[in-house]
Amino acid sequence: MDGFRAALVVLAMAFGAAPLHATERLNVVASFSILADFVRNIGGDRVNVTSLVGPNGDVHVYTPPPQDAKIVAAAQLVVINGLGLEGWLPRLLQSSGSKAVVVTASNGVDPLGRGSEADPHAWQSVANAKIYVRNIRDALVRADVADADYFRQNAERYLAELDALDREVRDEVAKIPPERRKVISTHRAFGYFEKAYGIAFIAPLGVSTETEPSARDVAAIITQVKKDRIPAIFLENISDERLVRRIAEETGAKLGGTLFSDSLTGEKGPAPTYIAMVRHNIKALTSALGP
Amino acid sequence: MSIYEALIAPFLEFEFMRRALAAIIALSLAGAPIGVFLMLRRMSLVGDAMAHAILPGAAIGFLLSGLNLFAMTTGGLIAGFTVAILAGLVSRTTGLKEDASLATFYLASLALGVSIVSLKGSNIDLLHVLFGNILAMDDQTLLVIAANATITLVVLAVIYRPLVIESVDPLFLRTVSRAGAPAHLIFLALVVINLVNGFQALGTLLAVGLMILPAGIARFWSRDITGLICIAVVSALISGYAGLVLSFQTRLPSGPAIILVAAGLYMASVLFGSVGGLVRQLFPGRHLEA
Amino acid sequence: MPAQLTFRDVTLGYDRHPAVHHLSGEVASGALLAVVGPNGAGKSTLFRGLVGIIKPLSGTISLEGLNVRDIAYLPQIAEIDRSFPISVFDFVGTGLWRVTGIFGGIGKGSRERIAQALGLVGLTGFENRGIGTLSGGQMQRMLFARVLLQDSRLIVLDEPFNAIDAKTTDDLLALCKRWHGEGRTVIAALHDMDLVRANFPETLLLAREQVAWGATADVLTADNLAEARRMCEAFDDSAAACADGVRQSQAA
Repeated sequence: MDGFRAALVVLAMAFGAAPLHATERLNVVASFSILADFVRNIGGDRVNVTSLVGPNGDVHVYTPPPQDAKIVAAAQLVVINGLGLEGWLPRLLQSSGSKAVVVTASNGVDPLGRGSEADPHAWQSVANAKIYVRNIRDALVRADVADADYFRQNAERYLAELDALDREVRDEVAKIPPERRKVISTHRAFGYFEKAYGIAFIAPLGVSTETEPSARDVAAIITQVKKDRIPAIFLENISDERLVRRIAEETGAKLGGTLFSDSLTGEKGPAPTYIAMVRHNIKALTSALGP
Repeated sequence: MSIYEALIAPFLEFEFMRRALAAIIALSLAGAPIGVFLMLRRMSLVGDAMAHAILPGAAIGFLLSGLNLFAMTTGGLIAGFTVAILAGLVSRTTGLKEDASLATFYLASLALGVSIVSLKGSNIDLLHVLFGNILAMDDQTLLVIAANATITLVVLAVIYRPLVIESVDPLFLRTVSRAGAPAHLIFLALVVINLVNGFQALGTLLAVGLMILPAGIARFWSRDITGLICIAVVSALISGYAGLVLSFQTRLPSGPAIILVAAGLYMASVLFGSVGGLVRQLFPGRHLEA
Repeated sequence: MPAQLTFRDVTLGYDRHPAVHHLSGEVASGALLAVVGPNGAGKSTLFRGLVGIIKPLSGTISLEGLNVRDIAYLPQIAEIDRSFPISVFDFVGTGLWRVTGIFGGIGKGSRERIAQALGLVGLTGFENRGIGTLSGGQMQRMLFARVLLQDSRLIVLDEPFNAIDAKTTDDLLALCKRWHGEGRTVIAALHDMDLVRANFPETLLLAREQVAWGATADVLTADNLAEARRMCEAFDDSAAACADGVRQSQAA
C-alpha cells in the first residue's frame, strides 16, 4: 500500500511538475552567431535562440531587415555584445517596441581602449568568454527562474570546457618559438587574444571592415614585416584578401589560412561553434608560425 | 626630403607601388578616351549608374559560386551589358533619350540585385567585396587590366570614325551608313567592360573618376577631339602618379588621393584653362585684328 | 528622260495618321524639282520617306536602282551637336563616307576635294574653325559643302534657304543650278514662291495629297494655292481607316 501511494505521489509530482517544463521555451535573441552559440550551450532546450547576424555575416555593418523587428519584438531576452559593436541595434530595439530584457554580455570585461575607441572583440580571450557565459547564465536565470538549476549546470559544464580550451591554447602557443609569435592580419580584431596569449597581431586596416589604407600604411606594414621578420600573414573571413596577398608576396611572409574573428561559419564550415572557432584559429597560427 | 626621395624612391623601393603605377597607366590609356566620348555624349553619370546596375549579376554569381571573384565579375559583366544594350536600344528605337533610358534600367537592375541578395539571407556587402584596391594589384588583375586596355584601344580605333560622326550628326550617319547603331552599341559594351574591370580591380571611385575627370580637364585646354583625348590621357597619368605619391607621403587612402589630385587639376583648369577658363573669360586681352 | 524616283500610291505618316496621302508620280533623272505647300503639307515627311528614315504606311518609293545611302540629304532642322569639338574641315570631310568607309584614309586627293568644296561654298579659310563658331549662313554653306563631297546623283534639300541672308541664298542657289547642269537630280522643299518661279522649272504642290505637279508656271496658280491651303487640316483622331485609293469621307 505504501509503495502504491508513494508511486502515486511521484506520479502526481511528475504531472504537477510537467506543466512547468511544458511551458514555452524562452525566446532569446542574440545579436550575432558567437553570442548565439553561448546562449545555446547554456540554455539548451529551454531556449529558442535566434541570431540576428547569421554565420559569416558582418556584425559591424549589419542593416537589419524588417523581419528583425518582429523577431526582437517577440523576444524575452536580447543578448548583445556591447562595447560599440552593434551600432545598429538601439534603433532596432526602439522601433520594434520590444519589451525584452537586454543583457550586455561583455559587462565586467576589462576593455581595450575607451569609449568609441574601444575594441569590441572581447570574446577572443577565452577568459573573457567565461565572463560572457556567466553574464548570460545569470540573465537566463533571472528570465526563467524555474530552470535556474538547469542553466547553472550547463554553464558549469561549458565553463569547464572553456577552461580546457584556454589551457589548450596556451600549450599550443608555448610550442611557437618566442621570436616567431607575431602575425599580420587584415582585421584588428585580435587585440584581446594578443593580450591574453602573447601573439602579436599587426593589421593593415582599422578596426571595422571599411577603412581604406593609404600607400604609406601599406609601405609601413611591408617595411615592418621585413624588418621584424614577421613570419605569417593571415586572412580574415570578411575583408579584401587581395591586399593581404600582395603584402605577403612582397615580404616573403607565409600566407596562413583564414582566421575567424567576427562570426562563426555555418554547420559545414571549420568554425561552427565558438570552441571550434578558437581551436581552428590556434591550429592555423601554430602551423604557420611553428618552428 | 629631396625630389628624388619624394617622387621616385617609393616606386623603386616597393613593388606594390610599381604595380599600382602600371595599373594607372593601363587605366588611363583605356579609360580616358572612353571618358571623353562619354562626356561629349552627355553620359558622364553612366559610371555611377553602372556601378549599381551590375549588382544582380554579381548577386547571381555569388548565389551560384559563393565569394568567387571570377563568378561575380562575370555576372557583373553580363548584367552591365544587358542594362547598357537594352538602354541603348530603347533610346535608339523610341523617343526616350539615353539618360532616362539608362536610369530606368539601372534602377530596376539595382532593385533586382538587392532582392536577390536579401533572398539569400546573408548581409554581406557584395559590392564591397567585389570592388578592389589599387594597392593590391596581383598578376592576374594586372593582366586583365592590361588586356582590357589593349582591347579597348583597338576597338576604339575601329569604331572611332562612326562614333564621332554619330555623336555630332547622327541623322547624317543614319542616311549614309548602317554603322551608327553597331558603333553605338559597341561603345556601350566598351564602357561596361572598362567599368566592370575597373571596379573589380580598383573600386568605383578610381574606375569612374579616372574616366570622367580627365575628360573634364581636357575640355578646358583643347577644341579638337584628338587634343581632348591626348590631354585626358596625360591628365589621368599625372593624377594617378601624383595621387600615389600623395598617398605614400601622407595618410590619404590611395583611391581618394588620386581623385583629389584630378579634382584639383580640374579646378585649376576651370580657372585658368585656355578654352573657356574663367580667368580667360574675365581678362580676354586685346582682341585680334581679324 | 528615265525616272530617278517613282512614287507608287505612297502614304507616309506617324501613328497611322497620314502626313503624305496616296502620292503617285515620277521624278525624271536630272530634274530640278521644287516641292511647295503650306505648313504641315508633308514635305519633310515625304523627304524622310525618300531617304529611308521612315517607312511608308502603304505604297512604294522606288529609287530606280540608286542605293538609298547614296542620296545626299540636307534636313530642315539639323540635329547637329554644335558644341562637339570638330573642325569645319573634318566635319565636311565626313561627306566622303561612302568613299572612305570606316577605315579609309583621307589622302592628298581627298584633302584637295574637301578644300575645293569649301572654296565653292565660300568658306575658304574656315577649315580649322570649330563648327560651333559658325553663323547660321556659314553653317548652311558648310552643309552644302558636305553635300558637294557626297557627289550624289540625287540631292534632297529640305528648306535649305530658311533664315539665311540673301547673298548666301544666291550662292547656294547657284550651286543647285550647277548640280542640275551636271545632270544630277535635285529636289528642294521651299517656301519662297518667287524664288521657285525664278529658278525651278518643275514644281510639286503638296497638301498631303498632290494638288498639282508639273511645270512651275502651271502649278503655282492662285486657284491651286488656295486649294492647297484648304486641304491642309490637322490630324483627325476620329478618321476612319482608309480603304485602298479612296477616301471614305469627302474633303471639305
